[in-house]
Amino acid sequence: MRKTISRNLPFLGLTTLILALLGGSCLPKSPGERGDVTITLYGFSVMKESLEKAIFPNFAAKWKQQHGQVLSFQSSFAGSETVTNQILRGAPADIAILSIERDVQRLQKDGFVTADWHSLPAHGIVNKTPFVIIVRKGNPKGIKDFSDLARPGIRLIHPDPISSGGAQWSILAIYGSELKKSEKERGEADAGRALQTLRAIWRNVISTPGSAREARTTFELGNGDALITYELEGLLMKEANDPVEIVTPQATIFSEHPAVVIDRNVTSAERPVIDAFMQYLWSDEAQQAFVKFHFYSSTNDAFNQANTAFGHIELPFTIDYFHGWDKAYPEVIEKIFRDQVQRK
Amino acid sequence: MSSVAPAMRHVRGFDVARPLSIGVLVFLMLPLVFLPLASIFIFGTSNGLDKFWAALTAPEAIFALKLSMATSFWATVFNVIFGLFAAYVLSRYNFWGRNALIVTISLPTAIPTAVAGFALLLLWGPYGTLGRLLTPHGFQIMFTAGAIILANIFVTFPLAFGVIKPVFDTMSHSLEEASATIGATRWQTFWHVTLPSLRGAIVSGALLTFARAVGEFGSTILVSGNLAGRTQTAPLYIFAKFNEGQIEAANAIAIVLALFSFLIFSVLFFARDWLDVD
Amino acid sequence: MKAKETLIPKREEPEPTRPTAAASVVGLSKRFGKASILENISFDVAEGEVLVLLGASGSGKTTILRIIAGLEMPYTGKVILHGRDVTELPARERGVGVIFQSYALFPKMTVEKNIGYGLRIRKRKRKQIRETVNELLSLVQLEEHRKKYPSQLSGGQQQRVAIARTLAYKPEVLLFDEPFGALDTQTRVHLRREIRALLKKVNVPSIFITHDQEEALELGDRVAVLNVGHIEQIGTPFEIYNYPATEYVATFLGAANVLEAVVRKDFLEVGSARIPATLDQEKFREGDCVNIVFRPEDVSLSRGDLPRSTHPRLSSARIEEIAFVGAYERLRLRVDASDECNTDETPFYLTTETPDRKPTKSIIATRPKPEASSIRLHVGEKVSVALTSFTVLPKKGTKG
Repeated sequence: MRKTISRNLPFLGLTTLILALLGGSCLPKSPGERGDVTITLYGFSVMKESLEKAIFPNFAAKWKQQHGQVLSFQSSFAGSETVTNQILRGAPADIAILSIERDVQRLQKDGFVTADWHSLPAHGIVNKTPFVIIVRKGNPKGIKDFSDLARPGIRLIHPDPISSGGAQWSILAIYGSELKKSEKERGEADAGRALQTLRAIWRNVISTPGSAREARTTFELGNGDALITYELEGLLMKEANDPVEIVTPQATIFSEHPAVVIDRNVTSAERPVIDAFMQYLWSDEAQQAFVKFHFYSSTNDAFNQANTAFGHIELPFTIDYFHGWDKAYPEVIEKIFRDQVQRK
Repeated sequence: MSSVAPAMRHVRGFDVARPLSIGVLVFLMLPLVFLPLASIFIFGTSNGLDKFWAALTAPEAIFALKLSMATSFWATVFNVIFGLFAAYVLSRYNFWGRNALIVTISLPTAIPTAVAGFALLLLWGPYGTLGRLLTPHGFQIMFTAGAIILANIFVTFPLAFGVIKPVFDTMSHSLEEASATIGATRWQTFWHVTLPSLRGAIVSGALLTFARAVGEFGSTILVSGNLAGRTQTAPLYIFAKFNEGQIEAANAIAIVLALFSFLIFSVLFFARDWLDVD
Repeated sequence: MKAKETLIPKREEPEPTRPTAAASVVGLSKRFGKASILENISFDVAEGEVLVLLGASGSGKTTILRIIAGLEMPYTGKVILHGRDVTELPARERGVGVIFQSYALFPKMTVEKNIGYGLRIRKRKRKQIRETVNELLSLVQLEEHRKKYPSQLSGGQQQRVAIARTLAYKPEVLLFDEPFGALDTQTRVHLRREIRALLKKVNVPSIFITHDQEEALELGDRVAVLNVGHIEQIGTPFEIYNYPATEYVATFLGAANVLEAVVRKDFLEVGSARIPATLDQEKFREGDCVNIVFRPEDVSLSRGDLPRSTHPRLSSARIEEIAFVGAYERLRLRVDASDECNTDETPFYLTTETPDRKPTKSIIATRPKPEASSIRLHVGEKVSVALTSFTVLPKKGTKG
């Protein structure tokens, strides 16, 4: 008897395993209500909370109330450049919220965005946030500004500029901040000093994760002494009681995030709800929600007062300081950063 | 006469090489294999079992696990049948280009999975070489579960084949000849004689393929669209949760996957006698 | 023992009263590229007969078997089973039973499942299958092993299963491919007797192939000797052993001594001896140079110059070597004979004082144990060599 069992045990074990696998062979139903209409939104990494926790549910409730239709949202988040690449390859996005305007231009170039997105409210910018430095609680390395990050021995987490829009903002923040400061101190922008600082800082980078959110997670796991990221990330971290501190630099850039409709993927049947959603993004309700999630509103500065956690920036600037992305990308990101910092 | 006897090493009952070798082996495996695996388990439950359970039962997590099971299952079914067929043809028949075919079948293992996913997109995506011809008619496999199955098929292509073919090669022709002389048709011979001898290889090939498919990431993330609750497999889910900073959720699913692989390979190991070809 | 005075080489002609063959091959040939593997192979197997194809490796015997089985196609020729021309039929329609060298038992089936396989694929009723399997299991005496798997059986047992498996579907002919190759000598000998008894019992015509001449002689009702793709001789074991038709057959079946001889009227001139012989006039003409072939056991020895018996005296000989081989004694002797025919009409005489310039040759002789013990011989001794039996063959290159 024992012999029969032990002899058949492997066979039984195998059969059970195979049956179990057979049982799991049916494609599962996706959880959550299946709506009548689905909106697919691809966004850059740090947009996730504000959209999923506030914007989507609020709009869906409103829409149901007004039109009786049940809306469901599908979303996918990654580094801004990655998201753009996915859409270019055919990812079924209806709407994209990206970190840098350049990505919108890439979509436009290939015919995915056909409408003039600047005609949307606030030039198509849905929210913004300044770039700050996150350090460990107690600021053991005594970091006060970007230039401190150039000190030898500092270990910096910085997302990869190839895949992350936030990384590009960060580079502009560092470079611009040095220009601004030298302008203030000596009356003219010192490009040489800016380049030096950028180089020194880049030498301290120990890891380049693919998106701003990934960089944050890496930092949270204990890697590195400092992280340059969107202020809202830092505030979210503090909200979650992470042992971190936010260092607000003297001069820093405000990143501005465009939201666009991927005209190519939207059918005429879906258009009304898509347009309605887009308009909603700039509604007071949505903008206030963004502020709650630590973004700056792009429509009304008054809303920003509601968030007392925002840091004070002495010398803020935007992409206009570089004369727009059309100039900033080739001149700073490519000519200065890629050719003179990264490649050295 | 030498007054000093030369020292001689006696190998008596105790051979120090044995415990030493075993010790070195375990010592090496500790940081490389044991500890990383253990850390997943320790970390996952360190925040409390209730959080662990909550992470495990989240609807998106369960969906991701089910999706992984289902897509891997179908990829396995396809690759085992195909592997059988290919092994039969390539083992029994000799023809010009045969070796090239064998090498080609084995290629997918050498290709980085991200490249594989990308290639599939380039071919079948909405703007892909072939995909763009199908999309107007409503057929678009990319960014659906079907794409995951397709990517899995590509990536695990050579596995079942590689396990089954050697069995075919070493299988004595005389078994099939005997069956023929006894009066069996080709199909009867295949069913009664060839297949039972392949039983072990088929099962282990299938389990290998399945285990590999469940863990596939690089190609899946490209072709699935990574939509949570729609096309997000378990590995993708882990990655997404990690990116969001939800380490516990990521860990919970990681533990499930680790346990599952462990289960598969345990079964493979303990049933190996039954699986072996006589 | 009286020597045969007239020795006529036997031909392999079918006896006039031979019953219709159960299986026959006619004119088989096979090529591989330019090389000819088989040439003009024809033979019959009678009902209930065991025919052995004997040959060295590469002689083509396996190919013949595979052609009969239908596993290979001949270049020319026919295979006929019980009157049915099966040459164009695939193996599975021929109704042959093949016992492979490796037995080819299906490893994942039990003994009874193996035996019943042929009936299962013919979709016979379960009851019938069970009965037949039981019958066969008792026939080959493997009832207690019926649930075992092939890997649990000994070589001899596996072979019996292989045989039973073919008998289940009543084959027209049984084909054995070197079935004893994988076994040790003792088992071999034991098994071949068992198999032969079994075959006689079931009365199915069988063809064995082997390279072992002892096996062939013991197993076969008739033996066909193959040499590089053609048949040298077919005959009963007695016939081919004692009356080999060619030098190849003679030497293949056992040790053989071959000496030169010249045909004369009424006798053969071998070296300095005259051996009376009446030969087939059509085959051998006076003056022809021929070979005489005799086996070591056909040699009779006596001391000194005088022959011991009335057997024709071959020569004086000096003992070069003596070996004790258990059941018999083997001697190597140097006799007066040569490799070249002496066409000179004048016979020459030899005495023991004749210097060694005369041509000599070594032959092998054996003496059974009783004789070896009673008449002891030593190396260097001079003996007289007589022949109790011999065969005359034409010179190589010309066949009768």
